[in-house]
Amino acid sequence: MYETFDHTADLGLRICAPDLNSLFAEAARALFAALVENLDAVKPTRRLDLVVVGEDREYLLFDWLKELLYHFNAEHLLLSRFEVEVRSDGLQGSGWGEPFDPARHELTHEVKAITYHGLLVEQNDDGWLAEVIVDI
Amino acid sequence: MGKDTFHGPLERVDACCWRIPKSYKQGMRVDGLIFTDERLLEQLKQDQAPDQVANVAFLPGIQHASLAMPDIHWGYGFCIGGVCATDPNEGGVISPGGVGYDINCGVRLMRSNLFYRDVKPHLRALVDDLFRNVPTGVGRSGRYSFDKKELRCLLNEGSLYLLGRGLATPSDIEYTEAHGRLDGADPDKLSDRALVRGTDQCGTLGSGNHFLEVQVVDQIFDEVAATAMGLEKDMICVMIHSGSRGLGYQVCDDALASLRNAPKKYGIELPDRQLACAPIASPEGEHYIATMRAAANFAWCNRQLLMQQAREVFASVFGRSWQELQMNLIYDVCHNIAKFEEHAVDGKRKKVWVHRKGATRAFPPEHPEIPAMYRKIGQPVIIPGDMGRASWVLVGQPGSMEKTFGTTCHGAGRAMSRTAAVKDAAGRRIDKELEARGVIARAQSRKGLAEEQPKAYKNVDDVVEVVHRAGLSKKVARMRPIGVIKG
Repeated sequence: MYETFDHTADLGLRICAPDLNSLFAEAARALFAALVENLDAVKPTRRLDLVVVGEDREYLLFDWLKELLYHFNAEHLLLSRFEVEVRSDGLQGSGWGEPFDPARHELTHEVKAITYHGLLVEQNDDGWLAEVIVDI
Repeated sequence: MGKDTFHGPLERVDACCWRIPKSYKQGMRVDGLIFTDERLLEQLKQDQAPDQVANVAFLPGIQHASLAMPDIHWGYGFCIGGVCATDPNEGGVISPGGVGYDINCGVRLMRSNLFYRDVKPHLRALVDDLFRNVPTGVGRSGRYSFDKKELRCLLNEGSLYLLGRGLATPSDIEYTEAHGRLDGADPDKLSDRALVRGTDQCGTLGSGNHFLEVQVVDQIFDEVAATAMGLEKDMICVMIHSGSRGLGYQVCDDALASLRNAPKKYGIELPDRQLACAPIASPEGEHYIATMRAAANFAWCNRQLLMQQAREVFASVFGRSWQELQMNLIYDVCHNIAKFEEHAVDGKRKKVWVHRKGATRAFPPEHPEIPAMYRKIGQPVIIPGDMGRASWVLVGQPGSMEKTFGTTCHGAGRAMSRTAAVKDAAGRRIDKELEARGVIARAQSRKGLAEEQPKAYKNVDDVVEVVHRAGLSKKVARMRPIGVIKG
């Protein structure tokens, strides 16, 4: 589950999930939901596999989102479905989607970058919570 | 509006300046000084921006004070509207967060010999043509593409490279801050990712708050300065707001990644990871400076190519060449940049790194870096407002050198978060509302238009009033928008 929260100039993403794997998958969806109007209209026809290395969970989330954003920027690849396995030394993740098609997709924001400001990954009574602010 | 409101101390210094004393947080090396007035003060306490002013005061080598302009609002790391000068001889640092992701985001203003009465009958066609021909929005490629070798030259030479390609004139270079080129750029230090993102994005507007506007000179406040710039009442101008596109964002991203361990390595204590920095005289600091300069040069080329495309559209709509239409650049300023400048600090002249994060250089009359034509009036400062109300042309004043390291505000500053602005616009057609006010607006994204609606911003007139009264810069002309294109 994800939602946006108020940040004056930019956009805050708040993600909740029962476990760490789904937290990272949902965070990826939250990012693409900020980029494109109707995320469910993005067909899962192409697959992107990524490996991200790192022990710090907050930096790992940052790097995972940063990699996805790079692939969107360089290849105009929109992704809507994700599977992630978070390990102690990094993660292995896959995303499914398709290249941006102006006839079917409406892009909403240009996310310039993921920021470190207020970056948060923590466990609570309900599972896991992440917060990240993206620069618009 | 923000996650938390600010409850820290704000002491009145004078009618235009409030202080956050360095006793507020242990670790602050200097006070925070915010240029604002009674009216804007309440608004600025509504988010964490003042706290960010205090956080910047932690940076090693910071001089005088951590400063903020009246368009201050909550950013990431630095506040937007923040100014910080560091001295390399006092362990001063360079911080990519003090420049921002959009390196050399800035504004330029071009005049013409057309008046409102000439353009009004053709306005819709003009705006439609601009929207068709100037690439806007996310992921749009430009019509200019530079291979690796060309891109390298462009990153090295800035606007001068475009002069060689016949895409800029000597006068365009003359009226661009730093002549559209920072020395010491090193394109070889850019990552492949940054270069890939640069190949087809030069000459594209982008999204968010970037825009190209057709404006009318609404009111002149300083006849002498306006005449020097060739501005008259009712004259048509074009204002362009954009930056270094994906290339610049990538340069900042790469720098922040390489600086993750720098605070620990250099023993720097920081209250926010986004303030990551390194000593100016360190491998990490030097690397960032060389790549930041290359991205700044890219941004000037981007605005130059955007201006060229606008000139061509005007020529086609009005059936005369842009030279006949006298579409000359008045000035181009950057508002996200770090520059090595000479300033007086506590009565001593020294060279410092001035970080301007959403703040504009505003050098006073007689400053050697001002083009001869403007030497007597001061450096032109271009202040974009919102797309329904106004934008401004100011000139730098001596107060900027005394108080703010030669700096003034950069815009209206947001008053509403993006999510709040979208909620506020639910069920409304912002484009229709603007049309009723005489503004034709075209945007790729309706949500983008809602987020950027006039109400989402402070009134730029209030912001300009503060910098005018504080003696940082002086009002020359107020412009109102009549045509807007956005991403």
